Amino acid sequence: MSVIAPNFKLSEFIKSILDVGFWTLLIFVLIGLPLVFIVLFVIEMPVINGEILTPFLALTWLADPSRILPIVKAFMTTDLFRIAAFPGFGFAALIAASTIFVERKMMAKLQLRVGPFYCGKLEGILQLMGDGLKLISKEIIIPAKADKPIFWAAPVLFVGTAAAFVALIPVAPGWVVADVDVGLLAVFAVIGFFPIITILSAWAANSKFPFIGGIRALFQMVSFEIPLILSFLGVVIVTGTLNLSEIAASQSSFPWIVFFPIGAIIFFITMLAELERIPFDLPEAESEIVAGWLTELSGMLYGLVQFGTYLKLYAFAGLFVVIFLGGWNGPMIVPPFPAEIITEGIQMGPVTAQFPGLPVFTQEMLNGTIWFVIKTVGVIFFIILPRGVFPRIRVDMLLDLGWTKLIGLAFVNIFIALGLLYAGILGPGGLF
Amino acid sequence: MVGELAGNYSTVVLMFGFAVAAMAPALVISRMLSPRKRSNPVKFLPMECGQVPTGEGRTHFMMQYYAYILMFVIFDVVAIFLYAWGSTILYLPKEATLPIIGFLAIIFAAMAFALYQSGRRDIW
Repeated sequence: MSVIAPNFKLSEFIKSILDVGFWTLLIFVLIGLPLVFIVLFVIEMPVINGEILTPFLALTWLADPSRILPIVKAFMTTDLFRIAAFPGFGFAALIAASTIFVERKMMAKLQLRVGPFYCGKLEGILQLMGDGLKLISKEIIIPAKADKPIFWAAPVLFVGTAAAFVALIPVAPGWVVADVDVGLLAVFAVIGFFPIITILSAWAANSKFPFIGGIRALFQMVSFEIPLILSFLGVVIVTGTLNLSEIAASQSSFPWIVFFPIGAIIFFITMLAELERIPFDLPEAESEIVAGWLTELSGMLYGLVQFGTYLKLYAFAGLFVVIFLGGWNGPMIVPPFPAEIITEGIQMGPVTAQFPGLPVFTQEMLNGTIWFVIKTVGVIFFIILPRGVFPRIRVDMLLDLGWTKLIGLAFVNIFIALGLLYAGILGPGGLF
Repeated sequence: MVGELAGNYSTVVLMFGFAVAAMAPALVISRMLSPRKRSNPVKFLPMECGQVPTGEGRTHFMMQYYAYILMFVIFDVVAIFLYAWGSTILYLPKEATLPIIGFLAIIFAAMAFALYQSGRRDIW
């Protein structure tokens, strides 16, 4: 004899079912139907196989395999896919997450440790997930006198700004979230928000160590912004455009680092400073000021700032690749899509399956993405390498380096560009 | 026209919004999962290496590097002006470079003077 709930009443049971039915109907009428009308009459649906994709046709992809790939391809051209998945947030988050893991393992190898080892079967590959779960289950402690709304908002704003930076980086020809015609200036505009968020978070904490760290971060980011801006001017002079996609496309025969090694070195050093990495990690100097401007951030707030930092690292590495290392350009290593699959379909024994719209990604896009990722990973390697090699430098050395040496070198770079242009080596009518 | 130009940038703002919308739930979930014990007032003091903190958190800070911030305000704008010239130089006559060289000389002189003044610690 099974025991039903002791207070079971059939009338209450029926009432609860009717209740659920009522609320379902109400939510469907108030939210579902307006949504259907919005989809039907407001959103422009793509044309698939010669007919406009209505919600009804979209559902038939389950039964009609010839619609699956065109629908997927139509979805991939939307802004939502670009923002959420491929050249945008998902792709960048994947690279950022793997950067964290690779950095921990690499630092461990440099310091003759083992590093993450136990979490996950293979060399602690699940360590990052474990860390995320740990951070999300920790209590968030905020100092009593802190400015709470700003303190909560700053890490989220940090991630958002880093993502806005990622949006401007072209990954493959045509694959960029925001293809703006003055992309480089937009990059500077986005970079300019980071010191503001840092100083907001540091000021809101109402604590001494974050305040000192925030002031240091402000000095550092502000001092290195001018060499950062000037280091691109050589490339802009010889290409004559500020669009990042066009700058990347202009390097089909050689990367600009061949002609502007000084600019590349300046940008690399300023990149280390903007990312607050050793030898420029004064804002987070853990042996002097506990954790700098991150001292009072606990739990997931700290996790978000770390995530934003690595998103920013990916974006800076991507910017270096786009401007100096040729972006997506590289020898074609992806084999062309087999033509007989497009014309005849896939044959497996007696069955022949036709897949209309089959090359989902073009050869150029795959090749460009592979080259971009290879170069970006290389740059990220060189960004995280100094952490195991260099000591931290002093504040006055940092300011002296930024304001006298790097700015002077940046002007040398500009004159190299002018010389190359007027000597007729680069630019229109030049040798290349 | 203006709307079209601004519309190009909407994806940047959308990306910002997407990241905020994707990451803010992490804070909410963390708030729901994590323990919240309010028994201990010492817990909510600012971090000061185990000491009971004294004084205000937002202290006065030494102004000796303030000159660099002032310089930044000027030279950031100047650097962006150089971009307006640099991105159109392919369409300009060669003589147009000469005034820019003069402009750069003025920048250099001003920067040298500012660096000299910022190095004088006694006036800051």
